[in-house]
Amino acid sequence: MANQVAQRVYDFLKDIPPFHFVDNEEALLRVARRVEVQYQPIGTTVFAPGEPPRDRFFVIREGSVELFSIGEDGEERLVERLGEGEVFGIRPLLAEDNYLFLAKAAEESLLYAVNTEGFKELLPNYPQLTNYLATSMAGSSRYALEYQAARNREPEGNWGGTDYTGPDLLELQRVHRARPPITCTADARIVDAAKRMTEHNVGSIVVVDKKDHPIGIITDRDLRRKIATGLKSLDALITEIMNEPVICIRPDVTVADVQIMMVRYGLHHLVQTEDGTNKSPITGVISEHDLLVLQGNNPAVLVREISRAKTTAYLRSLRDRSERLLKVYLEREVSISFITSVMSSINDEITRKCIKFGLARMQADGMGNPPALFDWMTLGSQGREEQLLRTDQDNALIFEDVGKKRHAEVKAWFLKLAGYVTEYLHEVGFDYCPGDMMASNPLWCLSVGGWKEQFSFWMNENTRENMLHTSIFFDYRGVWGDGSLPGKLTRHIFTELEGKSSRFLASLGLAALDNPSPLTFFRNFVVERSGEHKDQFDLKARAMRPLTDAARVLILEARKGQVNNTFRRYETLAELEPQNAELYREAADAYEVLIRLRALIGLERNDSGRFIKPEELTRTQRLLLRNSFRPVREIQSLLEVRFQLNFLR
Amino acid sequence: MEGKDWLDKLRNALSLNPRQKGADQWPDWYRKYAELPHQLAPGKQAFRELDVVVLDAETTGLNPRKDQLLSLGALRLRGHTIRLKECFEAYLPTPEELRDSTAVSVHGIVPNSLRYRYTDLTSLMEEFLAYLGEAVIVGHHIGFDVEMINRALAGLGAGPLKNRVLDTALLAQKIHPPGYWTPQGEYALDKLARRYKISLSDRHTALGDSYITAILLLKLLSRLSEKRGRDLLVEDVFG
Repeated sequence: MANQVAQRVYDFLKDIPPFHFVDNEEALLRVARRVEVQYQPIGTTVFAPGEPPRDRFFVIREGSVELFSIGEDGEERLVERLGEGEVFGIRPLLAEDNYLFLAKAAEESLLYAVNTEGFKELLPNYPQLTNYLATSMAGSSRYALEYQAARNREPEGNWGGTDYTGPDLLELQRVHRARPPITCTADARIVDAAKRMTEHNVGSIVVVDKKDHPIGIITDRDLRRKIATGLKSLDALITEIMNEPVICIRPDVTVADVQIMMVRYGLHHLVQTEDGTNKSPITGVISEHDLLVLQGNNPAVLVREISRAKTTAYLRSLRDRSERLLKVYLEREVSISFITSVMSSINDEITRKCIKFGLARMQADGMGNPPALFDWMTLGSQGREEQLLRTDQDNALIFEDVGKKRHAEVKAWFLKLAGYVTEYLHEVGFDYCPGDMMASNPLWCLSVGGWKEQFSFWMNENTRENMLHTSIFFDYRGVWGDGSLPGKLTRHIFTELEGKSSRFLASLGLAALDNPSPLTFFRNFVVERSGEHKDQFDLKARAMRPLTDAARVLILEARKGQVNNTFRRYETLAELEPQNAELYREAADAYEVLIRLRALIGLERNDSGRFIKPEELTRTQRLLLRNSFRPVREIQSLLEVRFQLNFLR
Repeated sequence: MEGKDWLDKLRNALSLNPRQKGADQWPDWYRKYAELPHQLAPGKQAFRELDVVVLDAETTGLNPRKDQLLSLGALRLRGHTIRLKECFEAYLPTPEELRDSTAVSVHGIVPNSLRYRYTDLTSLMEEFLAYLGEAVIVGHHIGFDVEMINRALAGLGAGPLKNRVLDTALLAQKIHPPGYWTPQGEYALDKLARRYKISLSDRHTALGDSYITAILLLKLLSRLSEKRGRDLLVEDVFG
């Protein structure tokens, strides 16, 4: 029987994650029919920390909801702002835990409260749905925070697992190294079991029979629920409160399998046995926490492998592997600040390795050691630690002043080195820069004095071309070498800024406005009118560049030279200018969204992800993109006002 | 107080109605409904504690004396929540002489289509009154719907609805009084829905209109509450 209202709910749900995984109309309609439509006036609370979840989670039909974490001082900190089509409040249900966050309506909102009975029944039939929930819970920044908060509240032991080695990627990683199980027999009293758990600093204990087969498990949660509440006496037998039968896994399952099992059965601990059933001896226990440790551990392995690499071919394969890691992170919605710092350290490590290869080659050529102190600098997005995909090389070299007589000879030495290094980087998969902004170009392999002159020229002659150069060269960062030379350059720039600064900053601001902000209407992007990318949206030029350019000029104006990364620049600016803090934070968030989107699309198409066809985006992606345009426009108008650019134009 | 007197008067008047059969001849299902206490909630009670049913009737036309019910849709509100599980929806077969009428095209109800489960008027009313109970009835220009239902009830030998009634059109006027800039026409459901940004995709099915009316009610109540600067009391809404 077609109930029109339930039909509309169904129409809405069927297109959004995670419901879009349910391709059975009847099954999803059953979920839709049990939905409760909940109206939230602006500022009203949906749920508060400590409240138990009532058999429901929420989908935003219209409006927006903000999640806050409450600090010990009672201060509310914004964790996430959610918009139309987004789901929240699902973790406490699956984990059978209380809410940790405060959820409030940021606008007048309509929510669909989805009943979990009915929804939970879908889980066994739709592995993708389960997988989605498992990974989004394990990966996203919000859930990571929730985990962290949950851990802080109930400290649990930190068992083994950290010594995991092996270069496999997360999704392929096998859980060989579960912690050795802490066990007791069925005749133990609850108090004995609790003592053993405390002694070994673990969150669970397995009850085994004479043959070491698991017959039950008790966790911290059971002790809290059944003992602390006075339901059972401490002297009762352990069998009175244990959970049975025990859900078991084989020793060779992957991390992904474990995550899925945990979500499917709503468990935090799984027991490993020899054959994966409870009719064989126990070999280990794995907890949710162990999984997180495994996950955080992985990039370190890659970085170590890079430092051990002997050939550029192996480096290339490691970079390919880190790109797969990147893909997993993106799919699991791991926070962008984490991803960028991991990928930057991988890129930096590869660069360092290539420089070492280059130095060794110079030795082999009989050129000996470097004739002077030097630093290798990366520029542009790698300089800002924001590079996720392998894009073109942008780098430069700075060496100490050596006096007129030796200068030509020293420069020739470093040019030759730079030639090798850029070649090796090319072999690893970083293409040569089409604009030749590389250390192997004599223009960009300079002494400290040479660079100072160059920067003074750029800052005094505010031509359009110079402004373009500044947008790349002002984001330099030393990755290898003596380490002191880039700092000298920074000090020089700030000295130059005194006095004639306003004109330079205004020009820089003007350059930041060069790219008109994208339109704000849904599905209505400014697309390129002609050329190779006709009818595509230039993500880099129209949305990312305005944000990086604005961050750079604002941070220069604030005289903060050491802050090299766009999000950190906005964070710093938010601290310096509380009156604009909200806008800066939104800009930082928008930038994260754009980086993520670009990387996802780039990985999918195996290119830089710069140009987007609006129709190839998912509904959520379009929404995110649209939302990120507002801060772009607002930041641009802030620049206009601040540097009075309207007069200059 | 005033409202109570008025209601008593109305009850007396209705019981004198010559078309009205005596209480002793009421069908059992109506008697069961009529015997509920039907007490008015005290003015100081919080409005959100009230049991509210939002309803809409689709009819063959706008003349209560000539036209007939085609369908009835209703939703129950609990505080700020609408439970789709607890909705009421029933269709009557289109009367023979009206198969070609214009109402059919307005409501998009194809006569006797297989898409709907049809019922007869008696079972519809019996189920509806059991669903309704003592809830406050809310609807847009609800006077018309109540009139249509009362006439249908009278035709079945039953008495009229005894519930308290709230009209969202009047509530909207309370928040935005009519005047030069807002003529009466501005209080039509479509206009209000547009003003309060409610999607109109379900218009002209009884349940769809009930849903829009329910959202409108919630949005209006929150604006009234903002105006009064407190959580709404029964007397704020009905007073």
